Amino acid sequence: MRHIICFGNPLHGDDGFGPAVYQRLALLPLPEDLRLVEAGTPGLAALALFEGCDDVIIVDALMPGGVPGQLTRPPLETVEAETSLPGHGVGVGYLLQALAIQPKSLPRIQIIAVETSAVALFRPGLSEPVARAVEEAVSLLSKYFQLNSHD
Amino acid sequence: MARVELNINLNRVEGDLEIALALEDGVVAEARTIGTLYRGFEQIMVGRTPRDATVITPRVCGICGTAHLYSAVLALEHVWQTPVPANATRIRNLCLIAEGIQNDLRQTFLFFTPDFCNPRYMDQSWFEGMVQAFEPFRGSVYRETLSATRRVVEIVAHFGGQWPHSSYMLPGGVTTPADLRRIIACRAVLDEVQRWYEQRIVGAPLDDWLALQSADAYFAWLETPPHAHSALGLLSRVARALELHRLAAGTPHMISYGAWCDPEEWAAPHEARLLPGGFYDGESNKVEPLDQQLINEHVRHSWFRSYDGGRHPWTGETVPQFQPNSDRYTWAKAPRYADRVVQTGPLAELLIAGDALIASLHAAEGGNAWLRQFARVRRIAIELTYARRMLDELTLHINDPHFLSPSKTQETDGEGYGLVMAARGALGHWLRIRDGAIEKYQIVTPTAWNASPRDSNGKPGHWEQSLVGVAVRDSDDPIEIGHIIRSHDPCLVCTVHMLETGKRVRYAA
Repeated sequence: MRHIICFGNPLHGDDGFGPAVYQRLALLPLPEDLRLVEAGTPGLAALALFEGCDDVIIVDALMPGGVPGQLTRPPLETVEAETSLPGHGVGVGYLLQALAIQPKSLPRIQIIAVETSAVALFRPGLSEPVARAVEEAVSLLSKYFQLNSHD
Repeated sequence: MARVELNINLNRVEGDLEIALALEDGVVAEARTIGTLYRGFEQIMVGRTPRDATVITPRVCGICGTAHLYSAVLALEHVWQTPVPANATRIRNLCLIAEGIQNDLRQTFLFFTPDFCNPRYMDQSWFEGMVQAFEPFRGSVYRETLSATRRVVEIVAHFGGQWPHSSYMLPGGVTTPADLRRIIACRAVLDEVQRWYEQRIVGAPLDDWLALQSADAYFAWLETPPHAHSALGLLSRVARALELHRLAAGTPHMISYGAWCDPEEWAAPHEARLLPGGFYDGESNKVEPLDQQLINEHVRHSWFRSYDGGRHPWTGETVPQFQPNSDRYTWAKAPRYADRVVQTGPLAELLIAGDALIASLHAAEGGNAWLRQFARVRRIAIELTYARRMLDELTLHINDPHFLSPSKTQETDGEGYGLVMAARGALGHWLRIRDGAIEKYQIVTPTAWNASPRDSNGKPGHWEQSLVGVAVRDSDDPIEIGHIIRSHDPCLVCTVHMLETGKRVRYAA
């Protein structure tokens, strides 16, 4: 079983990357072995999304840095603890740390992230480079939606 | 005198909170609590069909959604005089308790205790022990709290399908009845949490812990190995070594709406509670019955359209008006009870309900930051007890109704309120229905009481008072403020009535 989990808040500019990818993927027919979730900014409640599966792909925007619009697959250890926007301080980094210390065995986790240029609070809408990156991410992920996939 | 002004943004609290302090020679002379984000739920509700309240208001908060749901449904049932069968109240109480247990454990061991691992305390004899227990992600209690608390809200999922933001309470009852499978599953969750709480948090069986009734008995217990080495024992010994039991009393007056409706009372407004509520007068040391008509909210120092004095929620309004260059400084209103500044929360809840241990400690040392946090952990034992009682009663009455459908003719216009004890204290929803739609909706949250700004008489709110006189050793690392504010378990998410302007908050003193 594979879970694709899209994080982010569409109200805050490029933080809407995850939800935008979700909107596109949600149009595709869903194979039985795949679950697609728009998690938003759920805090610790998101830990439940890592159960009952062998593979997790996290889709999220990174805090400003790097080349805006560039897709990257950061190793889990490099995602920092306090990476969430104003809110409750429990972002993906915190979740990964919480998962790392639990006794149960974890699914394989990979992250598909986009680099962004600035935090735009309460300004919905993606910047152009990040909007293009949505297309790229959807392309990359659509292979998991092949109905005869043997992954 | 050296005067320093300091704006502190706190993490490890829910929502968006800033504290503005004026220090004179390193001691807090003035404090202002600032809600930096406005959310406008009260405007969202106006004009909507009344039942939308149970769908929308649980979204006020991802931590206390059950409390808001319960408050909203009680308010509707009050307007419509809808009877609620006992099993529905039992299920509602059970779910509210589950939410409370999760909050109390997480707030204590993920938010409050990490402060004791601050490097400033490195030279203390107790530092190593605290790090081993409470350091984020590494401490044993911290790690156990993450896993132990994940399961508690499964209780809510059994009856509501999901947590947070569930909507399974509706006028007349709940959507899902108890059955043996659900009851067994909920018992299993409670058993697991209780075992962990007994072994690791208090170091004693629940009954022994609840049997402690006096300050002396507790302090004797604190010397004995099982409790001394338990999480609460460590917390207490170190907090008291740091003198947190002498600090931050805040206002002496307290309110509680009474925890958990009595299932035997089927009629609104459900004044019969399993833990009695009331107003505690900190000057006379007496508990009086609570009269919600004495609640009003001031906006004199808040960013809302002005009106004189305080207004009861039914006559109040919430019209945002940002005025940055004035002596108004927050998106939170100032609630008052009979013109008194009050506090609410587990300390208020247990003191007013008559918990003998809390009453004894309060009589001996007064209100203080340590006692507030201690009361939160104490409450977990009471929550576990009542959760179990609700399950036992559901088992005995397993085939009784969980929902009584109100007749359409009952859904009239009128005014109503729903008052519950959320994890952080007294929560109320007030609504007025006219021509079949919501004409007015006002929410007064526990943090609104506690984080209240100054009122029309210039009287500071509870937290603001609790900070005056606190010595801050290092204004670049005001750890003392952190201990105190986190002992209040602040949540600004549902309290601040907006637009994050990106501007730095200033106020003219």
